[in-house]
Amino acid sequence: MKGGIDFHTHPVLVREMVEKHPGLARAARETYYCGNNFQPLEVMLLEMDIAGIDKAVVLPIDATTSRNATVYTNDQIVEVCRMSDRLIGFASVDPHQEAAPQALTHAIENLGLRGLKLAPAMQEFYADDRKAYPVYARAQELKIPILFHAGMSWEPGSRLKYGHPLRFEDVAADFPALNIVLAHLAWPWVVDAVALALKYPNVYLDTSALFFDNPHDFLRYAMTQQVPLTVFERSLRKQIVFGSNNPRIEIKTMAQAIRSLGFSQECLNLIFRENAEVLLGGRA
Amino acid sequence: MIIQLHRIEVISRKDMEMIDITPQVDRLVEASGAAQGTVFITTAHTTSGIIVTEGVWCLELDIPAHLERLAPKQPPEGAYGYYHNRYLDFDGRLGYNAADHLKSVIGGIQTFFPIEDGKVVRGARQRVYFVEYDGPLARTIFIQIMGQAS
Repeated sequence: MKGGIDFHTHPVLVREMVEKHPGLARAARETYYCGNNFQPLEVMLLEMDIAGIDKAVVLPIDATTSRNATVYTNDQIVEVCRMSDRLIGFASVDPHQEAAPQALTHAIENLGLRGLKLAPAMQEFYADDRKAYPVYARAQELKIPILFHAGMSWEPGSRLKYGHPLRFEDVAADFPALNIVLAHLAWPWVVDAVALALKYPNVYLDTSALFFDNPHDFLRYAMTQQVPLTVFERSLRKQIVFGSNNPRIEIKTMAQAIRSLGFSQECLNLIFRENAEVLLGGRA
Repeated sequence: MIIQLHRIEVISRKDMEMIDITPQVDRLVEASGAAQGTVFITTAHTTSGIIVTEGVWCLELDIPAHLERLAPKQPPEGAYGYYHNRYLDFDGRLGYNAADHLKSVIGGIQTFFPIEDGKVVRGARQRVYFVEYDGPLARTIFIQIMGQAS
């Protein structure tokens, strides 16, 4: 078994990138809202090593209309991915902009990015708003997954109402060939997110949830008490991917927490690697 | 009077790790021009420490292991659970590394040694360690040299 894939990281603290692009410091502090020290990329790779993670998906957010800001542009994601072959770059587009589908095509076909990140709470749109449908249609044509922020958001100004799982049902139903990932287990609406995943095979969940206590105790609550572990193990084993939400959560701690829950080794292999490989079209 | 403040960076490669920084301290003192004085070594971080001990691999394992016994990363249940498990708005994330802060408090964050004839005066077995409790991370250590030239 190869090492795992972390399907949810934000490279906002990568020091080399902040030194080259000082505006990224402001994006990290004021838009993404993360106050930790900037660190060399090497630190993230070392943390992946000790967590048993081979590769990490790195995510931008295009919040041009809602915040007049981007938390990494697609070009900057390409740039950070050039620093290590262990990084898998996703694109982001602004669904409020008419040219968003074309921007997505450019990011995938010309820049070589592998998926799409959308954050309805920060970008201020409802996932089932028909305005965003051309973006979904283009993602489906391009055969790339969409990773949606879902559930609670920490950033000031980001409203929880945009993250409710039921706002994603129309997308799952209307684009059955489009794989969508609801991040953070859509907490606190884990039951609703699980219901969606049970009903729609193109709905995946990522594990990057931490809203109180610590990863070990929080995930034990969300994945064994809010929803029994058996539901994930038996019914959703092919629809869960490991995500840390680094740097809000450390990769090492999140990986350890998931491994401590009591999943079978076969299910852990799916969560940590194989399901992500499917989403990435079989090539990680 | 010579007063110098140096900042050195080390990158820890593990979750917990002892890194011998004695050579860096010695070099900075010898280059400072201070013949008689004091060197102060202080970590800039609250989940790391500065410890002086014998420079052997077995202690490099024993010390973090027993600090982990005293302040385990997984919080103990009941009265000794960690209040630090909560959202920190200034960091935009939860604090869940109370154990690493506690280790830093127990082990200490600084040390100092005399300088004599331009060299650090240490006991024969003493080494200066930067101790990582929450790595891997790039860390800063302050080394301040105060003394008189010969």
